[in-house]
Amino acid sequence: MVAEASQRVNPIRRGGVAASPAAAGLGGPGLYLALPTYVIVVVLAVAPLALLVFWSFWRYDPATYWIKPDLSFDAYQTIVSSGRLAVIIKTARIAVTTTALALVLAYPIAYFMHRLAGARLRMLLSLLFLVPFFTSYIVRTFAWRLILGRLGLVNTALQALGVIQRPVEWLLFDEFAVQVGLLASYLPFMIFPILLSMTRIEGSVLEASEDLGASAWQTLRHVVIPLTTPGIFAGSLFVFVMALGSSVEVQFLGGAAESMIAIMITDVMRVLNFPLAFAISTLVLALLILLLVIGNRYLGLSELFRSVSR
Amino acid sequence: MTTAQPAADSSRRRQWARRLLLIYAVGVLLFVYVPPTYMLLISFNPGLLPHLPSLSHLSVKWYSILFSEERMIAAFKASVVTGIATALITTVLAVLASLAYLRSVNRSLLFNTVVFPMFVPGVIQGLSLAIVFKLPNIIPSLWTITAGHILWALPFAFIVILTSMSALRGSLIEAAQDLGASNWQTFRDIIFPLVSPGITSAALFAFLLSFNEYSRAYFLVGGQDTLPIYMFGAMNAGTSPTIYALAGTILIVSFLGIGAALLALNVRQRRAA
Repeated sequence: MVAEASQRVNPIRRGGVAASPAAAGLGGPGLYLALPTYVIVVVLAVAPLALLVFWSFWRYDPATYWIKPDLSFDAYQTIVSSGRLAVIIKTARIAVTTTALALVLAYPIAYFMHRLAGARLRMLLSLLFLVPFFTSYIVRTFAWRLILGRLGLVNTALQALGVIQRPVEWLLFDEFAVQVGLLASYLPFMIFPILLSMTRIEGSVLEASEDLGASAWQTLRHVVIPLTTPGIFAGSLFVFVMALGSSVEVQFLGGAAESMIAIMITDVMRVLNFPLAFAISTLVLALLILLLVIGNRYLGLSELFRSVSR
Repeated sequence: MTTAQPAADSSRRRQWARRLLLIYAVGVLLFVYVPPTYMLLISFNPGLLPHLPSLSHLSVKWYSILFSEERMIAAFKASVVTGIATALITTVLAVLASLAYLRSVNRSLLFNTVVFPMFVPGVIQGLSLAIVFKLPNIIPSLWTITAGHILWALPFAFIVILTSMSALRGSLIEAAQDLGASNWQTFRDIIFPLVSPGITSAALFAFLLSFNEYSRAYFLVGGQDTLPIYMFGAMNAGTSPTIYALAGTILIVSFLGIGAALLALNVRQRRAA
């Protein structure tokens, strides 16, 4: 019943769409103001990516050390035949795990910040979770090596407590360490979109739920979580993209045998197999664009972001 | 009377949930903050092994060795130059785009365009730019790196400036225009002073995002390394404790930058209040 009520009201669809108050005063189209941004993004992002996709069907030319026009699916066949598909799948699996863990860890924090913390505590937590965005992920990842290593914080602490006699080796240079590093790097990317979608839920909806006798838990399950799906999806997409494209975490924390898509691309580029590098990138881009389109269509992703400017 | 009991119960349960979640949030913060803090402390240990220094033996030995390494200094300078170029270009673009957004030309298209590069993995973005620059034979330099960094910093700068512009009241702008101010005058005398703290912090954030970016620069780097690229090489190869001092330096620069950006935003809030 509670869920039905929330669907009828659906505050996510409201607000944000209306023009901002400043718009009325400024008037007139501002296309020329937006033009430089459009040009930059198209020239530096969209066009190069399109070219990369296009060139993935060309063929390597040993004569020029570059590629020549062709319509060849060789690169794509190589992905499958050379076992590189396994790396792509493994990377996707690791990225999905990171995303799921980040969601489980971040949601209670966003809920706490929005519903239970006072204004000052909320501000403080926002600041503290904002800082990692602007610090070096190389440094933060490298620091985990010092935490998990033989002489690291975890081992010395466990030894001091007498839990273990000799340093534990499995902490570092395996998938566990990679997973920890990825989670620590990208967790904050999950918190803010969820928090944003929570602030868009109108208080009256929550009151209505409580007045109808729902417990806090029922309100969370049937009202808050369904209404924050755009935030959950946006956050998940952020973390997934970051983890999917990560390389530093694996290079610093993974074992010698560990590979990820980003490392594979740089390795392939090093041996000048350009079409293969482009083909791998194309597969990744196709997956991400698919996710973006689904997110926009079914979860109102751009609606969520639009609320930033309210 | 019958309803008072459950109400008290639920408020007590709320208290408990609050306490538990606060402890939990602190735990997650420790997970994020302990590693860099631990490394910062280690960077002041004069010994060769990565141990915590004793308080009586704090030393800046590795920092002084670090700052005599010419390649490091050159990379540091390159990152500062790239960061400033990125911050300037990104901020101008973000201000213009935010103004356009307020005038409500096709908002969702503009927003999606600006935010799109955020969803492209850095390695792929860098690779695609590198092959495009190869076409007209543009030689990789700090400018090609700047091109990659702009894409990374633009969405953040745009969101920060847009958020600070949302505090603008339409009535102010209407009043200015009713009094005969041109668009430019309205911007210079009304919008800019009110939004300038947001612009300052957006520029600082853009600088930091560029200063710390590694994967977008990887394929775009020319003869001169940026600091993250230099640092990655040093960390991957070396066991010299100067890498802790290098990491420490970068953390300190980042913290100072973030502090300055937040200070700028705080000024705005106090002025608005």
